[in-house]
Amino acid sequence: MIDRDLKRGSTEMLIMAMVEDRPRHGYEIGKLIDQRSDGVLQFHVASLYPLLYRLEKRGLIKGRWVEKPGERRRRFYTLTSTGRKILAEQRRTWKDFFAALDRVAGINPA
Amino acid sequence: MPNFKKEIRNRLAGLRLAPTREAEIVEELAQYLEDCYEELLAGGSTKADALRRTLEKLNYSDLLRKELNEIERPVTREPVVLGATSTHLLSDLLRDLRFGIRMLAKSKGFTLVAVLSLALGIGANTALFSLVDAVLIKTLPVPEPERLVLFECRAGRLFRTSGMSGSQFVPGPPGTKGLSLFRDDVFERMRQVQIASPDSPLSDFFVFAPTRELTAVVDEQAEIIKGQVVSGGYYAGLRVQPRLGRVINDADDQSGAAPVVVLSHQYWQERFGENPAVIGQTLRLNKLPFTIIGVTPPGFNGTLQVDYRPEVTIPLHQEPMLEGERSRLGTPKRPGVWWLNLMGRLKPGATYEQARESLNVTFQAAALEVMPPPRRADQPAQLEPKDYPRLIAESGSRGMLDHRRSYSGAIYGLFIVVGLVLLIACGNVANLLLARAAMRGPEISVRLAVGAGRWRLVRQLLTESVLLAALGGAVGILFAFWCKSALLTMTDQDTGILPNGVELSLNWRVLVFTLAVSLLTGVLFGLVPAWRATRVGLATSLKQSRRTTGPVSRLSKVLIVAQVALSLLLLLGAGLFLRTLSNLQQVNLGFNQENLLLFKLQPQVGGYKDESLRQFYQQLFQRLDNLPGASMATFGKVTLIANDNWFFDILLPGETEMTVGERHMTNRQVIRENYFATLEIPLLRGRGFTAKDDQHTPKVGIVNQTFTRQFFPNEDPLGKRITIIEGKSEIEIIGVVADTKYMSQREELKPLLYTPWQQEVANIGEMSFMLRTMSEPTALAGAVRQVVHELDSNLPVMDVSTQTKRAQATLEQERISARLLSFFGGLALLLAAIGLSGVLAYSVAQRTNEMGIRMALGAKASNVLRLVIWQGIKLVLVGLAFGALIGYGLKRLMASQYFGEGAWQRQLAKQLFEVSATDPLTLAAIVSLLLLVALIACWLPARRAAKVDPLKALRYE
Repeated sequence: MIDRDLKRGSTEMLIMAMVEDRPRHGYEIGKLIDQRSDGVLQFHVASLYPLLYRLEKRGLIKGRWVEKPGERRRRFYTLTSTGRKILAEQRRTWKDFFAALDRVAGINPA
Repeated sequence: MPNFKKEIRNRLAGLRLAPTREAEIVEELAQYLEDCYEELLAGGSTKADALRRTLEKLNYSDLLRKELNEIERPVTREPVVLGATSTHLLSDLLRDLRFGIRMLAKSKGFTLVAVLSLALGIGANTALFSLVDAVLIKTLPVPEPERLVLFECRAGRLFRTSGMSGSQFVPGPPGTKGLSLFRDDVFERMRQVQIASPDSPLSDFFVFAPTRELTAVVDEQAEIIKGQVVSGGYYAGLRVQPRLGRVINDADDQSGAAPVVVLSHQYWQERFGENPAVIGQTLRLNKLPFTIIGVTPPGFNGTLQVDYRPEVTIPLHQEPMLEGERSRLGTPKRPGVWWLNLMGRLKPGATYEQARESLNVTFQAAALEVMPPPRRADQPAQLEPKDYPRLIAESGSRGMLDHRRSYSGAIYGLFIVVGLVLLIACGNVANLLLARAAMRGPEISVRLAVGAGRWRLVRQLLTESVLLAALGGAVGILFAFWCKSALLTMTDQDTGILPNGVELSLNWRVLVFTLAVSLLTGVLFGLVPAWRATRVGLATSLKQSRRTTGPVSRLSKVLIVAQVALSLLLLLGAGLFLRTLSNLQQVNLGFNQENLLLFKLQPQVGGYKDESLRQFYQQLFQRLDNLPGASMATFGKVTLIANDNWFFDILLPGETEMTVGERHMTNRQVIRENYFATLEIPLLRGRGFTAKDDQHTPKVGIVNQTFTRQFFPNEDPLGKRITIIEGKSEIEIIGVVADTKYMSQREELKPLLYTPWQQEVANIGEMSFMLRTMSEPTALAGAVRQVVHELDSNLPVMDVSTQTKRAQATLEQERISARLLSFFGGLALLLAAIGLSGVLAYSVAQRTNEMGIRMALGAKASNVLRLVIWQGIKLVLVGLAFGALIGYGLKRLMASQYFGEGAWQRQLAKQLFEVSATDPLTLAAIVSLLLLVALIACWLPARRAAKVDPLKALRYE
């Protein structure tokens, strides 16, 4: 049970972190996570978009169609203020969690 | 560029998204694929290769569909596929259950306390509901009981009829209860109409009624039993098949038919050892031979009142044989009595109203013919149609209901008490759960943080609490079994709290009730703690360690306060009843009740009367007077302190029936000459009775002090002549004796007139004997039976007891009330104490390092002790104040118009004896008890706090 929650919670946080600084579209988010994790974390289209929609529905991110001259219109996602708060809390939680794991099992890479 | 949109649309086809939403999703996903495709091309792939690799991205389209389906609401709902959805729900539920069981098993102490608390609450409610079921809900054990219809009559004006005990009235205007008794000739005319009309809504129509007590002789042993008479169609109409032999039919129900009797299953079991050979044997009833023709099936106790279970049933028209001149069917000289209960069975599809209509006209005609019209000076002689007696039909599925209804007050009263106990138990478990939820704060916030939905967690926590309640319910059923036997001890005939002979069974109705109560309590005490637990600020509680969580929540405090308040109310009730009981036990009865053996004889049933009766008693006294071990033998018409009474209206000297203003009522007692000496009642003035005061001498009487005070306040009563209105007999007062209690310890002293037995031969049929013994009275019971048996072996010796036991029996109701309230009050107090202790223990655990710091700064152990105890006692004091307030409010409420002009308060006042509902002494005692228990409950966790080692406590920080 914890396992399932854990997986979902962590991916949500990753996505929120990706759109924290500036709006990004779906393809860019997937790409960025792939790049930054050196290919360890990969998103499948079948899970990435549903997750985006879910977060949007919960009001943590907001998607907007943006049209630029000469380009296809694209849907860009930004972090909402609620999302910002939750992200901060989740970061703290995970930090505590890792600190705890480290104290117990010694997993801190540093 | 390949058309990806088409590919995507194909894969989302089953989802039925709103068209615009679908277009958006398709566009967005297509862009993703296009980006991929372009990137692959830019990376040097061939067009075909790029296309293949891009389309691979859609391989998991099942997952995509499923995920989207969860998030996006389809425009039109999919038809609900039962199997599919429920597997999901069920598997979730199973997972929750498994997890719940693990969590409960992990904290055994908590689980034990919670389950036991609930078991007591739920068990008590279950037991009581089984009683409600048996007395108020259960239908007759016959096929299709809902088709039985019971008839009553009601009139616009009061009609006079002759009933079983003197005259009674067909009740008047609506609102008054109808009379459910009918006369044989009226029934017979209605029955003829029913039989004659082929389209009558009734398929069966029959009557039944109780008989007077019968003397039955089995194996040379005479005993008094209950009987009933039924018309020939009774068993056929009820569709009751005999367990053995046959039942009474129309041929048996003829005057002149051979006398037959049907035994109840219980009687057959107890008196005949289930011997099948009884069929065809003879049973002597009131000395007359009746042939046993059958035994009714087990569980069927007839259709009379719930507390009347006839042992034998005889045909209606054989009643005159048993009763002779006293027959209620009437004799040529005297019309019959209104005493039969009328019942019918509806044909399929017929209604009560149709049944009523089909018989009403016949009933009215017959009734008007035989009932003397209302006659009073202030009423016109002319009757209007609206005043006519008319028939009423109601459900007969539960047999006669009047007595069932009369028990409902006591039963619902008990329900309030056990309901309160259950509430307290719920409060307790809720409190334990709150504390536990606080302890589990970190676990819950981790799960919230990593993405568990709040509703999901609430559901998980609720599953745990419902699981607890279900366990409580299961153990509660065991407790209910125990409670049941306790409840059955309350069905003693003397107490009348509960109907005699009622059978309590844990049937499906009771189990459904238990299940419902368990689930309800589970949700009740689980919801709020679960909701609060999941409200935990995400980051805050994760960071906090167990030692520094917040203080006891306000809700916890409120729960404790409520528990204390409710306990106070219950204990106060218990205290008042205990006081009442002890006051009643100390009442001076006015006679010496020690070493008195009691028994009753009814020689008139065996045929003794007038002179033979007098001679029988003379002979009996000769033998009793010489009985070794007994110093004196006497009798009286009325058994003392046994809720028995006999009273008459009298005329004082100079009054006539015409001139008398208000009625003068006096209790009466017919006695043997040595009555006062035997009971040690002092004769204050005049003379006592002698054997010479017999039928040949002028009638004399002796009165008590209250009689003198009330009727001759300023005169000498000796030599005065009073007249008993009934029978017009004039009596000269020849003596005054000291007052004694008469019916019960509780009643006020009333005028009492004693008359000598030899002048009252008409009134000495059934007599209550008293034997003053030298030692333990019951040791003489055997000798007494022997003496009576030698004189007449057909005469049963009844109600053998001692005067002290008899007097105790009249207090049974008070004793049971006191015992029940004490038990449940104690239970409530125990539960409240556990709750208080638990909450404080939690608080102490939370404040360990605060205590450490305090002690490090110089606080003594005693300061800490005081700090914690005060924390608890504060709550208890608030609870006591609230309890007192609620009690006062209840008292006011009961006294208000709302409850029928203070009927409840009168009821309460009637229950208590020489103690007021706001008795300060009781209040003080109960409050002290509560405080003492609370102190102990607080002291246990406080001691732990005081033992905190400051160094250790701080090291944890």
